[in-house]
Amino acid sequence: MRFMMIVKATEDTESGAMPDSRVAAAMARYNDELARAGVLLAADGLRSSAYGTRVEFTGGGTTVVDGPFPMTGDLVAGYWVLQVRSREEAVHWAGRWPAAARTYSRLELRPVLEPGHHADER
Amino acid sequence: MRVMALLKSSPSDEGRMPTTEELEAMGKFNAELVEAGVMLTGEGLHESAKGVKVKFSGGGATVTDGPFTEAKELIAGFWILKVKSMQEAADWIKRTPMGGEDAEIELRQVFEEEDFGEAFTPELKEAEQKTRAKAEQNAGA
Repeated sequence: MRFMMIVKATEDTESGAMPDSRVAAAMARYNDELARAGVLLAADGLRSSAYGTRVEFTGGGTTVVDGPFPMTGDLVAGYWVLQVRSREEAVHWAGRWPAAARTYSRLELRPVLEPGHHADER
Repeated sequence: MRVMALLKSSPSDEGRMPTTEELEAMGKFNAELVEAGVMLTGEGLHESAKGVKVKFSGGGATVTDGPFTEAKELIAGFWILKVKSMQEAADWIKRTPMGGEDAEIELRQVFEEEDFGEAFTPELKEAEQKTRAKAEQNAGA
């Protein structure tokens, strides 16, 4: 099964400052460990919401609103897609999140819909 | 540039599975995005009841099972688009078949190597390329 691991935005990530080289090196080691274990399928970081845009669908029409967006706690800073055997394995890998990068302190793990799940999972 | 499009849902409306008509409309839209060379990947997510949160504080980690009822907004799915501008991404995303339902899709620019400047040393760059190559191998396996 696949899990999307989402890291939430912080004031740091929203400030537009780039991660310092110590954090960048720790993340690189973590990603390498995931990749070697055959767990990492994809990962990307996102630029601050100031570079973003929202498209709102209301009453059949669309409205485009440019960032930055308020820090509600739900703002995303990056994601990973992990291939694991179980939810426990996904939690295990999230728990190995590098200490140096724990300024980014909130992760969310969400299972990805696989073809065929639609009918039998509900 | 690459843009991540995040489809939002709220705790009150998540968990409803799409109908055949909705799946068909979304399938057509995705096929059009792929045909135009715009869509690199896209996935839907199970409702937050099947998710887990991990919060790090004071050196420890706290794991909380879903659903995340306190959230104002949740993510229901995403696309990664390859476009020339944020405007082009917005123009495509405005055409998402939402079936008249109220919804929000957030577009966010994905970091590329060059965005990091000098902090991204040649050593880190090389390591990153190796990791990405291995991840692509994992995805293909």
